[in-house]
Amino acid sequence: MSAINNLIVKIGRSVGGVVGTLYQAGRDAVDTTIRNVIPFMAFISFIIGLILTTGVGDWIAKGLKGSASTLPGLLLISVVCAIPIISPLLGPGAVIAQIVGTLLGVEIGKGTIPAQYSLPALFAINPQVGCDFIPVGLALGEAEPETVEVGVPAVLFSRLITGPLSVVIAYFASFGLYSK
Amino acid sequence: MNLQSLILLSADVTVEKQDGFLGVLATAAEDFIKVFNKGGEVLLSLMGGILPTLIVLLTAVNALVRLIGAEKIEGLGRAAARPGIQWYPVRYIVLPFVAVFMLTNPMAYTMGRFLPERFKPAFYDSAVSFVHPILGIFPHANPGELFVYVGIATGIQQLGYGLGDLAVRYLLVGLVVIFIRGIVTELITARMIKKGA
Repeated sequence: MSAINNLIVKIGRSVGGVVGTLYQAGRDAVDTTIRNVIPFMAFISFIIGLILTTGVGDWIAKGLKGSASTLPGLLLISVVCAIPIISPLLGPGAVIAQIVGTLLGVEIGKGTIPAQYSLPALFAINPQVGCDFIPVGLALGEAEPETVEVGVPAVLFSRLITGPLSVVIAYFASFGLYSK
Repeated sequence: MNLQSLILLSADVTVEKQDGFLGVLATAAEDFIKVFNKGGEVLLSLMGGILPTLIVLLTAVNALVRLIGAEKIEGLGRAAARPGIQWYPVRYIVLPFVAVFMLTNPMAYTMGRFLPERFKPAFYDSAVSFVHPILGIFPHANPGELFVYVGIATGIQQLGYGLGDLAVRYLLVGLVVIFIRGIVTELITARMIKKGA
């Protein structure tokens, strides 16, 4: 009798555990969505509304058309974003990358920028990723203060090389992407 | 004409516009509100389009990560700490991928604690560079910065293409880039440590 009892308790526990986990996962998901995702959507929607209804859109389109639809233009963007003084300023929350990404998305949607440039563009607008966060990120990895001291400039200088390089790799990887 | 558009001053004008000072003011008011009507339309399409999918996917992956247990990947962290050329792909491809997938941004960087000091900046560089390329397929890893990818993806979608091709290529190129980034940063770090010592 006690064996059956134990079995029932065991099943009850594990089912409860799984359901509890799923429920908590759902709670986390909705929490993140409300705190992080929807506010950014609201902000991005305003910017898109502004671009689509005012003349700002044409002005941006002219500026981006030259730079974002050629390989040298994209390389230029990536080098500027990777300059060690500028990159930590562009980093926080990836806000700049998200806005520029949205602007490019609008222009790709209108056909100003060819669709196959979407892949290299994703890398061109983002060589500064995490450059604002290096000391914190290293501290999360329990790095010594001496490591942080060399780590910050090491990552920043590495981006000057790997930023443009990533655009070139993405450019060659984009052959055949949305070409039809 | 419905009530909503009446409230927001955006009813389609079918009669000839008013002249004079007040007419200009009225037109300006309509143009002003047009910006926000368009923005509202975009917001609604975003909330109706990707948000439900995102919530369900976040729930599923969160549950999966909890059931597996994030501590299971610690062994991988220890393996990645080994010297030798065959451990480079583990350290700068497998570990960042698994860390970002399981622990998400920013807790992924805590995996650096298993590595020797000289690899830590390179691992951070590698891991942080992967928090966006992963978004196309696994948006749970960094939902707060979704629009780096979604911004551009929206344009592709408007053209009528599928997003699978872009998402997969973004992920694969991302893996190549973080591998190179890890190696380059490791070399630079080694050189700077030598110079400092």
